[in-house]
Amino acid sequence: MKHELFEILQFGIYSASILLILIGLYAALTKRSLIKIVIGLSIIDAGIHLLLVAIGYINMGTAPIFSPGYEDAAATMVDPVPQALVLTAIVIGFAVTAVALSLVIRLYRHHHTLEIDEIKNLKW
Amino acid sequence: MVGTPVLLIAIPLLAAFLIPLLGMLWKELVRIIPGIVLAYMMILSASLLYYVLENGPIIEVLGGWSPPMGINLVFSPLTGFLTTIMTFLGFIVWLYSYRFKRNVDFEPAKKYFIFLMMLVAGAVGIVLTGDIFNQFVFIEIVGISAYALTAFYTGRNSAEASFKYLLMGSLSASALLIAIAIVYSQLGTLNMAEIASKVHLMDPTFKVIAMIFFIVGIGIEAEMFPLNGWAPDAYTEAPGPIGAAFAGILVKAGIYAMVRMIFTLFDVPGAVDFLLAIGLVTLIIAETAAVKQDRLKRMLAYSSIGQMGLVMVAFGIGTLEGVYAALFLMLNHAIIKPLLFLSGSYLVFNSKDKYINEVNGLGKYLPITSVLFSLGAFAIVGLPPFAGFWSKLSILMAAANEGMLLIIALILMVSVVEIVYYFRVVNRIYFFEKSKDVIPHRPRFNALLSMIVLGVIILVIGFYPDSVTGIIHKASEDLMNTEQYINNVLSVGKSLTK
Repeated sequence: MKHELFEILQFGIYSASILLILIGLYAALTKRSLIKIVIGLSIIDAGIHLLLVAIGYINMGTAPIFSPGYEDAAATMVDPVPQALVLTAIVIGFAVTAVALSLVIRLYRHHHTLEIDEIKNLKW
Repeated sequence: MVGTPVLLIAIPLLAAFLIPLLGMLWKELVRIIPGIVLAYMMILSASLLYYVLENGPIIEVLGGWSPPMGINLVFSPLTGFLTTIMTFLGFIVWLYSYRFKRNVDFEPAKKYFIFLMMLVAGAVGIVLTGDIFNQFVFIEIVGISAYALTAFYTGRNSAEASFKYLLMGSLSASALLIAIAIVYSQLGTLNMAEIASKVHLMDPTFKVIAMIFFIVGIGIEAEMFPLNGWAPDAYTEAPGPIGAAFAGILVKAGIYAMVRMIFTLFDVPGAVDFLLAIGLVTLIIAETAAVKQDRLKRMLAYSSIGQMGLVMVAFGIGTLEGVYAALFLMLNHAIIKPLLFLSGSYLVFNSKDKYINEVNGLGKYLPITSVLFSLGAFAIVGLPPFAGFWSKLSILMAAANEGMLLIIALILMVSVVEIVYYFRVVNRIYFFEKSKDVIPHRPRFNALLSMIVLGVIILVIGFYPDSVTGIIHKASEDLMNTEQYINNVLSVGKSLTK
């Protein structure tokens, strides 16, 4: 890929990830439905994962695996560390979402509503 | 030596996941195994701390990958001091809740002990690890077990408190992950020692942005001012011993992560002053809020936030004496506040709303619990000869050495507020008439034992402060000496690659 094109692509991916984070933040902070808040949290996670993967990418990068024909490809490999981080972060995000949804189920059974305004027993 | 530092994380995690299987064999194992594991961790941590104080820190390399590449654990006087406190507190909480729902139901007790083990393992991991992403993972482990423990009782508003905590916790964990992404994109490393040695290469703007995201990410566990909205609700709705575990284990880990980040990772000028300012705000707001509370556990929760503010103020003084005072206060708070939570939850055991006026006149009916609660109240406001006096005195002396007279005045004023709301409760316990519909619940032997152990430690530290000051001095020197931390960790890497 040409250098200029790569720059544009990289800029696009970075802005997309930041946009995702902002969309998620908007949903988590302004929506009044518990399910939408949980969705917002997941979108924030997705944005950060995209950001992490984009940090590790290099122009014309190959998969970070030493295989026949690619013995001296270390310089052109993408950075494997962010990918490992993203894998871990996805699992953690999954666990948090599962806990959050189970709490939403509990709240729904208790209050028979998902609107956060109607649930407030505790002071914020 | 009875083991290596990694066992402090591996064994509780293994035990947590084995508990359901072992429970199928014999239900009592679910209660016994956590006790054995926590007692072993406590002994291991104390003996390693003893070794480390003599021979210098242990750097443990995980998986054979040398430090800048792989994950390493650092067991230094500071981290060893904190893990010893945490594992001890874990053991005390286990002892207190050994008979938790014993004759009622098997399932809740199983979950309770699993999450208790995970909480201790995660908190110990936060303190021991030398890798920022690994620290993030441990923060999430602590977070998830804390959300689950907060939502433990189905009858109360606990799911709401837990959801609030989860919302804040998961937003701040996202901030932490963004900070890690920024640091990695700038320096290409996740190892704390290597970040500390290379941080001057970082673009100053990115450095400040990354630090702000770090503070937001960690501040929630450290109960820092704008991020502590979860604490009063979580402490109120969680089971009594879990309040003690939050105050003694989780919050200490959060403060450690924050201080390690400000003192070692980033050398941003003014970060220490920021800690001082935010600590003062936290202290004043929390202590004034505590006066207004009419529920016992909520009052204790605000007092806990206030104490963490005081710890931040002491760290924010920025000198060796300040760090010493802060660590001393962390030790005292980790012993006194759990005592208050444990004895306090027996004082309001049968009450639904846990109002303070329900403790009226219980001094006659629950003599030992009341004495222990009063002991904790006297100790935490800093009456001499109890433990809290020495830590408050050392904070005031550290501030006086720096000529921060306004801060001394503020701390003393807040102490008066503290005395007002604690003595109000003690006054009610002893000098009010008990109302007829309050049914006192006598503590079991194991709960009484755990509270008496904490009470005895308060008296021991109060009368012989020299018994702990040596360790705290070494721990505070360890925190201030960034060069040595970097050298210790990175030299292990070099010796392995040779």
